[in-house]
Amino acid sequence: MSPLTGEVTVTGFGVRTAFGTGAEALRRGVFAGVPSFAPTTRFDTGPYRTPMAGVAPEGPDAVEDWALRHALAQCGADALDMADLPRGSEAAVLLGIAGDCTSVTRYWRNADSETGVPEGAVDRLADAVPARLAELLAGGLGLTGPRLTFTNACVASAAAIIHACRLISSGRVDVAVCAGGYLVEEETFGKFDSGRALSKDGMVRPFSADRSGLLLGDGVAAVVLESAEHARRRGARPLTSIVGWGAATDAHHIAQPHPEGVGLTRAARQALRLAGDPDGATLGYVNAHGTGTKYNDGAETRGLRAAFPERAEAIPVSSTKSTTGHMLEAAGVVEFVITMLALMDGVLPPTAGFTTPDPECDLDYVPNEPRPADLHRALTINAAFGGANTALVLERP
Amino acid sequence: MTTTSTSTDKAALRSPLGILTATTATHGTGGDGDIALPRLPGFVESAFSPLAYEVAARCLTEYPGDGSRTAVALASLMGDTTTADLASRRVVSGKVHNPLLFMQATANSVLGHMSREFGITGQMFSLSTLDDPVTELLAMADLLLEDPELDRVLVIGIELGGSERLAAAYRELVGDGGRSVPDLPESAALAAAVLLGRPGADTPVTVTAAETSPHADGARHPGGVQGLFDLVAAHRRLPAEGGRLPVAPAFVLTADPHPPTNALP
Repeated sequence: MSPLTGEVTVTGFGVRTAFGTGAEALRRGVFAGVPSFAPTTRFDTGPYRTPMAGVAPEGPDAVEDWALRHALAQCGADALDMADLPRGSEAAVLLGIAGDCTSVTRYWRNADSETGVPEGAVDRLADAVPARLAELLAGGLGLTGPRLTFTNACVASAAAIIHACRLISSGRVDVAVCAGGYLVEEETFGKFDSGRALSKDGMVRPFSADRSGLLLGDGVAAVVLESAEHARRRGARPLTSIVGWGAATDAHHIAQPHPEGVGLTRAARQALRLAGDPDGATLGYVNAHGTGTKYNDGAETRGLRAAFPERAEAIPVSSTKSTTGHMLEAAGVVEFVITMLALMDGVLPPTAGFTTPDPECDLDYVPNEPRPADLHRALTINAAFGGANTALVLERP
Repeated sequence: MTTTSTSTDKAALRSPLGILTATTATHGTGGDGDIALPRLPGFVESAFSPLAYEVAARCLTEYPGDGSRTAVALASLMGDTTTADLASRRVVSGKVHNPLLFMQATANSVLGHMSREFGITGQMFSLSTLDDPVTELLAMADLLLEDPELDRVLVIGIELGGSERLAAAYRELVGDGGRSVPDLPESAALAAAVLLGRPGADTPVTVTAAETSPHADGARHPGGVQGLFDLVAAHRRLPAEGGRLPVAPAFVLTADPHPPTNALP
């Protein structure tokens, strides 16, 4: 390897959401403002307050068919193909994931039954180990670089992208495949239900006065990041550049965001400083975290206002969780892909389900309908339990 | 990065690191140094978060600093498996989820608690590492300390004892490779924390990359934190003794002899 420092570019991606596989599925769903939510039949939703989730109608069942590792492998392969990056490349593999907890549920379902754990039932129990999934992804793609797995909840795959940016811009690696994955399953669904975080009306209505919570959604994606010089040398076409990144913590609460969004502001300002645009003058769009919860959306609005006070009202902000649902550890990388598509297509994905303005959410949220826009740069924001916040600034070549 | 047979960059550190302070804690292992599990409000049933907080708090209390210029990285094999198993068993038995288990299921929660108690607003994150996390964590600190907005990185490694489910996962991980499987009581936990900066007046012990690896770590079990414990032990000895000590798998600790510092137990 001959490390090449400098600008970080994106040369390929693969994505799968409740709308299906690939960019066209995102255009039909996310960019049309069509929510994906429907009653899930993956498990018995009877004990829970809602049966709704953003689950893919087709494809393998998440519980029985090891769908998470397969979806990661498929998205990784799609990303390599788009980037025209050969198998066997010395690319790092950076993953944001919690592990496949369906294997844990399956183990205890067997163990607590009268017959105990049958022979062979522990096969792939190690899929619950997040780092193992990075090894499997790298091995399946034949990538020989180092691997690292981030597990920090809803910023995990954004943290993986930020780490890749640091590795590439410092010259430690030339290429990194960053991925994340979450497929809706009962255990996490039940936890969010117990935390009373799930929407009451079967819709996610970010920034709307009648928002009542989030819904979970399937999401898996992989992106190929590489130094601009490396891409140029091998003739790869950059889809976008990553010109700024930031990460910061609220120092406020173990679960709730800071009410003024101070960590989000800090992360966004770091990213903008690195992008050489401390005031956000070049930003044309923000893909918000926008969970649709009472706590998040007001805090995020105030945090964005503080990040670029002179520009906040002029920059369209939307939450695509209104169509995909919350993809947890995968949210960062899937929303990164959505933001990249907005730049490439010149279309802002709307905030679906928006009905009623909320006085504490007073920005331009691109309500319900997509909007054409000639974008140069866009910001994507994620936040997580523990007050973790990430920000990435993307630029159209 | 995670060490693999095909990974090319084993020299984890580009620049030397300085150790500000370091500490370890064990609970329920049966060893002499075991401590009672510290009480941590909001965190129940599992040793993961209380012990992680204990070692972090010792370091951050010993060397208070600018929280806006401090980052924290926490590594473990698969997080709080005790909580994961409790939650999973409730699901399969048809019981209602416990919201406390929801909150503590992610390591972000204890990181958020640290953040609040010590005013840390830099990046905090958790990692899953198959092998001993010492290499990963020091490499991470080296990388983060190149960020002009950071000057301290607290790294933490946690290993939990666990259920038969965890043991089965370990057996699957080691396969036929000849590596050992950990043998810890179910309630046991081990934690180590090291507060790092660049070498300077406050850091009498310096960590550099070894020119040659002292020995391979292939015999160590998945999820183990012995490398971090070895690093902390070397840090305790060196300020008084001076000299150089190799720490597996790829580091050398160096100190000039002078009176012992206030290094933590």
